[in-house]
Amino acid sequence: MKSIRRCQHIMSLFLVLFIAGMVTLVVKIQRESAFYMMNSDKHVLGMVYDRNGDVLFDGSLKEGDTSKYEDNYFIDVGNLIGDDKGQMTNTLVAKNIEKLNNYSFSEGVVNEGGKAAIYTTLDHKANRTVYNAFAGNDGCAVAYNYKTGEILVCTSLPSLDVTKGYSELKSFREGTLMSKNMSGTVPGSTQKVSTVISALEIMGPERLLSKTFSCSGKYTNKSGKVIDCHELYGHGDLTLQQAVEKSCNPYFAQLVEDPDLDFEELKKMYTKLGYSVNGAEPEYIDIDGIECQKASTNLTDPYDFQTQWGCMGQGDTLVSPIQLMMWQSAVANGTGKMTMPHLIKEVTNVKGKITETASTSYSNALFSEKTADSMKQILLTNGANNYTYLIRNHTVGVKSGTAQVQNGQKENSLLVGFVTDPELPVAFCVVVEDRNNTYLTAEYITQVMLDALTPQAN
Amino acid sequence: MGSTELILCAVTVAALDICALVLLICAYTDKSANKKYWRHFTGDMELAEQGRAYPLGCDEVIIGRHASADIRIPDLSVSRYHALMTINGGAWTITDIGSKSGVYINGNLVKEAILRENDVINIGSHRMVFRKRRDKKNV
Amino acid sequence: MYNPLSYVSSCLFVLIAHAAMLANVFINGNYNSIADPAIIAGAVLLLDVAYFTALLFFKQTSYTIDFLLVLVLNMSVIFQSCFGQVKFDSDAIKHYITAVTALIACRVGFIACRNYKSLQNKRKFIYIAIGICIVLILTLTGSRSMWIQLGPISLQPSEFIKPLFILACATSVAEQQKKHKLLLFNVVYENIALFGLMAVICLLQWWCADLGSLPTFMAIYIAGFLLRICYPKAKLSKKTYISAAAALLVIAVIAFKFAPAYVQERLHADIWSDTNGSGYQQSQALIAIADGGWTGKGPGNGFLCNVAAHENDIVFATVCEEWGLLYALMMIFVILIMLAVPLINPPRSYYHATMSAGVCAAFTVQMALNIFGSCNMIPFTGVTIPFISAGGSSMMVSGFMIGMLAAAQSPVLDNTGGQPAAAPKPPANRPNKRPVRRKAV
Repeated sequence: MKSIRRCQHIMSLFLVLFIAGMVTLVVKIQRESAFYMMNSDKHVLGMVYDRNGDVLFDGSLKEGDTSKYEDNYFIDVGNLIGDDKGQMTNTLVAKNIEKLNNYSFSEGVVNEGGKAAIYTTLDHKANRTVYNAFAGNDGCAVAYNYKTGEILVCTSLPSLDVTKGYSELKSFREGTLMSKNMSGTVPGSTQKVSTVISALEIMGPERLLSKTFSCSGKYTNKSGKVIDCHELYGHGDLTLQQAVEKSCNPYFAQLVEDPDLDFEELKKMYTKLGYSVNGAEPEYIDIDGIECQKASTNLTDPYDFQTQWGCMGQGDTLVSPIQLMMWQSAVANGTGKMTMPHLIKEVTNVKGKITETASTSYSNALFSEKTADSMKQILLTNGANNYTYLIRNHTVGVKSGTAQVQNGQKENSLLVGFVTDPELPVAFCVVVEDRNNTYLTAEYITQVMLDALTPQAN
Repeated sequence: MGSTELILCAVTVAALDICALVLLICAYTDKSANKKYWRHFTGDMELAEQGRAYPLGCDEVIIGRHASADIRIPDLSVSRYHALMTINGGAWTITDIGSKSGVYINGNLVKEAILRENDVINIGSHRMVFRKRRDKKNV
Repeated sequence: MYNPLSYVSSCLFVLIAHAAMLANVFINGNYNSIADPAIIAGAVLLLDVAYFTALLFFKQTSYTIDFLLVLVLNMSVIFQSCFGQVKFDSDAIKHYITAVTALIACRVGFIACRNYKSLQNKRKFIYIAIGICIVLILTLTGSRSMWIQLGPISLQPSEFIKPLFILACATSVAEQQKKHKLLLFNVVYENIALFGLMAVICLLQWWCADLGSLPTFMAIYIAGFLLRICYPKAKLSKKTYISAAAALLVIAVIAFKFAPAYVQERLHADIWSDTNGSGYQQSQALIAIADGGWTGKGPGNGFLCNVAAHENDIVFATVCEEWGLLYALMMIFVILIMLAVPLINPPRSYYHATMSAGVCAAFTVQMALNIFGSCNMIPFTGVTIPFISAGGSSMMVSGFMIGMLAAAQSPVLDNTGGQPAAAPKPPANRPNKRPVRRKAV
C-alpha cells in the first residue's frame, strides 16, 4: 500500500545515501592510499629519471651512501629535484612524493623491485654542462621547449648534493636550498620586453613604431626627477627598435609618460601578463606541484620616477626567470599564448604501468598575434644586429638586462630569448649574479646551453 | 601475502557472501509466509468496484482523491481524504475522516462502521463492494 | 508455521560463515598458543547454537533479522578478540558479554514492540521515559557529560533515548488524521509535542557539549517528520517540501556558524598537518586502511590496536587493517541487509513501517558518522558503529532497535484475541447505524 511504500522510500533514501557515501569512500581510499602511506614510516621510494633515462633521484639510496653514484652527480638538480628529507619543500620530489611510493592498494608496500618512477623532461647532460659552465659563480639558467612546454635545463647555483645529507646545513650559502628560477628577481632591462609588449598592444605597432624619442644622456621627467642613460652623451633620436637594442632608459621614461599610452590600460596589461600590480595578491605558476612565483611591480602614476623605473625593470619590480622565459614563448609562438612549462613527462606506478602522461597546455592569450609578430621581429633584429658573434650558430631573438640588486652594490646580468630553429624550439632565461666580479657572461652560458641542447650535440 | 592466506581470505568473504545471500532468499520466502498470515488474519477481503478491485494490504487504508491515498478515486465527488479503513481484531472498520459527501454503508450514512462481507459502500458517486478476494481467473 | 528448511539452512550458513572466519583466525592469526583461538571458536559457536535454540521458543513469521543479527554480533566478537593479538582477554570477554546483552535486548525489543496497537496507546509513557532519561542526564552525570558511572559499569543514558525517540516518532495514519485547528493551521498536537521533544534533545546535547549523536536524532526526526507530513488536510505542494528543506539548511548553516569552539575546530581540521596532535587517530586510521589493502594483514597483525579508541571510534579502520577492506565492506553490507529487510518484506502497519524507517535512519547515520568521520570525509565524532564497536550502552540499544525491526516483521495482528475476519453474513439492519448528518452531494 502507498503509505507503507512511502516508509520504504524513506528507508531506501537513507540506505542509498549511505551506500553512495561508501562508494565515495572506497574510491577516495583507492586514490589517496599512496599519500596515506607516505605519512607512515613504512615507505619505499622509487626513482626520478631525466628524459634519457639518467637517474636524477634514487629513493633506494641509503643516507650517506656515496658509492653508487659519483661525487656531486646530482648537484646540478639538487635544489630542483630535491629529496624526501623535508629540508626543501618546493621541489619535485617533495611535491610529488606519493607518486614515487612503491605501494599500491592491492599490492601493499613493495620493498624490492618496485617500479614507481617519475620520468622528467630534463636533459641531465645538458643541465650538468650548463651547471659546470657557471664555474662556481652564482646564478641560474632555465630553458624549455616552447612548442611542448618540456623544461630541458633548469639549474641554479649555489646547489647541493642531496646524497651528502644536511649535516653542513649551516655552511650552505644563501639560496642553496631553492631553485632561483622559481623566485622573483630584479629583471633589469629584460622588463622592457613587457613594457614594449604592453605598448604594442595598447597603441598598435604602426603608431608605436613611428614614434621617436630623443635621448641626451639625461632625461628630466615630468615630476622633476632625473633618469640617467648608460650612454653618457645620449643616443640622439631613437626609434623603438633602436631603443630596445640600446636599452635606452630615457626613451622608455618618455614612452611611459606619452599620453598615447593610457596608464590604466598599461596597468591592465601588466596584470594580464601576470604581474601583481600595486600589492595585489601574488599568483603562482604551478609546475607539477612546484610553486613558481610570477611577477610583481608597483605602478602609481605615469610621471612618477619609481613607476617609470619599474617599467624599466628596476625599483620594486620582481620577476621570476621562468616567467621571463614563458613570455618569450608567447612571442616565439607568435600566438600571444604562453606554453605552460612542465617537468614531469610520465609517471609509472609500482608495476611499471604508466599512470600519468604530460600534455602540452597553453595560457590564455596575453596579447594579440600582431603584437607577438612585431615583438618577435624586434627581438630577432636585436639578436641579428648585436649577438651574432656572442651566440654563434643559432638564430636567436634576445633581450639582455642588467639588474641592480642590494641597493646597487651588485649587478646581475640577465639574458632572455628564444631560438627560431624548428629543430631547437627553445626559450630561455639566464641570470649571472654579480657580473662585475666575474668574466662570465650570460651570453656565454646561453651559448653553452644552446650548444648542449642542439640535437647533434647529444 | 601468501597464496594460502589469499585463498583463505577469499573463502571467508565468499562464506559471508553466501550466508548473506541465503538469508536474503529466506527473507523472500518469508514474504509469502507473511502474506499468507496476513490474509488468514484479515479474512482475505478486498474492495471491488465495477471493473476493478482494491486489495487491503495494510492495517490502515485511506480512500480518497489525494495522490497519497491508498485507494485513489480520482473523482470530484470524493474528498481528498474521504474514509479510513482499519483492521481491529480481525474485523475491518470504516471511518469517515471528514469527508464532504459522507460514507454510506448499504445505503445508510455512517460515521464509523464495522464492515461485513458483501457490504455495499458508497463513497461519493462510487459504489464498492466489500467482499472476499477473488483470483483473477474467477473474475 | 515457519519454514523449517529455511530455519535449518539459515542456521547452517551462519555457522559456516563464522567457521570460515575462525579458520582464517587459526591459519592467518597471530596467537601464542592454539588455546586462544580455540576458546574464541568455542564461545562464538556456543553463542550461535544457544541463540538458534532460543529462537525456537519465539513464534515468528520471519527469523531473517535474527539470523543476520547473530551473524553480525559474532563477527564483531571475533573482530574484537583479534585486535592486536588473538586472545580472549578481558576486553574480549566484556565484548562477548555485551553481545549476549544485545541479543537479550533484541528479544526484549521484539516482545515490547510486536503489538503496535498497545504500543500506540502507551505513547504517553514513552514521553515520560524520555523525560526520565533527560532528568537522569541532568542530575546524575558528572559535570556536563553523557556518562553515568555505576560502579564498574558506565552507562550512556543518551543512547537509551534513541529507541524511545524512534517510538515517539512512529505514528499511524489514523493519528495523523486527528487534526485540530490552531490559529490558521490544521495541526496534529502530537507533532508539536514531538517538535518540542526534538528541541529539548538538541538543547540537552548542546548542554552536554556532545554533539556527536545529534545527527542521529536529527535523522530519526527527519524520517519521522517526512512520514508525518504525508497526510495533510490540504494538498501538499512541492513548494512546502522545498521550503522545509531550505529552512533546515538555514538552521544547519546557523548552527555551524555559532557552534562551540571545539565543534568548529573539528569542522576545519586538516589531519595531515597535525598527525601527532588532533589528527592522530584519523591519520593513523587511514594509514592502517592503506596498509591493510584489500585482503588485510591477518587477524591480530595490526598496529592500530595501539591507538586510542581503536575498538570503537575508528573500529572500521581496525577491521580494515586486519581483515582487509573487502571484508570490512562485507560486514557493513550485512548490517545494511539487516536494515533493508523491511524493504523486501514490508511491515503491515504504518506504525511499524515508520518505526522501521526510524531505526534505518538511526543506523545509517550512525554508521556514516563513524566510518566517514574516521576516514576524514566529515568531522570526526565519537559515535559507534552499531554492533561492531565495543561499548555496552550502544550494543544494548542497537540490539533493542534491531528487535524493533524484527517486531515489525512478525507483528501481533490479532491484538484483541478475536476471530479472523468477518464471517459471511447477509447484510442485515446495522445495529451501529448513525443518524444522517448531511445529504450526499
